[in-house]
Amino acid sequence: MRITVISPERAIYDGDATAVRAPAYDGLVGILPGHAPFVTLLGEGVLTVENGGERHEFQVRQGFLQVVEGVVRVVAEHAEKSKA
Amino acid sequence: MAKSRELRRRIKSVENTRQITKTMEMVATSRLKRAQDRVVAARPYAEVLADVIAGLYEPGLAERFPILRQPGADRGRVALVFMTSNRGLCGGFNANLIREAQDRMLELESRGREVELHGIGRKGIGYFRYIGRELASARQDIGDHPTPEHASEVIQPLLERFEGGELDAVEVVFAKFNNPLSTPPTRLTILPIVTPTDRLPVNYLLRPSADEILRAILPMYIQNQMYRALVETAASEHGARRTAMKSATDNAGDMIDYLRRTYNRARQAQITQEIAEIVGGAEALKG
Repeated sequence: MRITVISPERAIYDGDATAVRAPAYDGLVGILPGHAPFVTLLGEGVLTVENGGERHEFQVRQGFLQVVEGVVRVVAEHAEKSKA
Repeated sequence: MAKSRELRRRIKSVENTRQITKTMEMVATSRLKRAQDRVVAARPYAEVLADVIAGLYEPGLAERFPILRQPGADRGRVALVFMTSNRGLCGGFNANLIREAQDRMLELESRGREVELHGIGRKGIGYFRYIGRELASARQDIGDHPTPEHASEVIQPLLERFEGGELDAVEVVFAKFNNPLSTPPTRLTILPIVTPTDRLPVNYLLRPSADEILRAILPMYIQNQMYRALVETAASEHGARRTAMKSATDNAGDMIDYLRRTYNRARQAQITQEIAEIVGGAEALKG
């Protein structure tokens, strides 16, 4: 599936993923390929994107996550890539 | 003799001016590039927001959300936010924005609505103060690089007053960035919200409820519209300045060509005259 991480200023990340873990308002949610259409609010925390062996982490705060037709969009008011 | 010295002085002066406008043109070009990138980069965020709101919105919501209230179109108090640049030398850019804002203000007032003005950018603020109009707020510190925080600082107080019923509409006059050559002054109604409804509804799983999600997302949507207006105005300013400075540079070049021609003709005339005088003098001595 595809994932894009978007902040008001720009799209921070756009790529493929085999698994996504996101900090929803009430705890972590995991998204795997084939997930049903879904919208949830985000809290504050670390968003993890796994793609095979690769792994990216982002610090996100406020916003929401949308899953639709195999695309995950993380839209956060504040989002930046965590230092590896 | 005196005339050609005068011409040399003018050529020099126009050359100096051309140097300056040329440099300003290049500075504007490089800033334009970055500002334009920011406009493009801000697009996906706005699109996803509109998409999700359209997917969740239903007409019954307006009664439960003060942010969605739809006051009658022809009464009450309007906040008009107008954007201009902090700096000049960008052609008709600011004049056009000011005219648009003023026309709108007069139009609203002629329909009996109260208008309060919120100025962003030194040029517009200066104008409205000059004609003796009071401004409800004025900001000159948002320069070249507006951030979402700037947008939030401007819109948040207005949003709260709108929800409280103190304001009935918020409109923005800004320079839309179609491309560097086309930056028309544009009016946008931010509140009451015009809900994006041009998308097919999707049956989402929602956590928490649609109500809660909208409550969180609608302010983001409002804020983002303000942010985009700021970013587009910044990019438009550089586009307008580049165009203005390019034509100033071209005009200076034409003027230099013309002055050089005039100067060379004067010089030639003087030489011819001197030769004629020498020949005439020699002829006279021969007697």
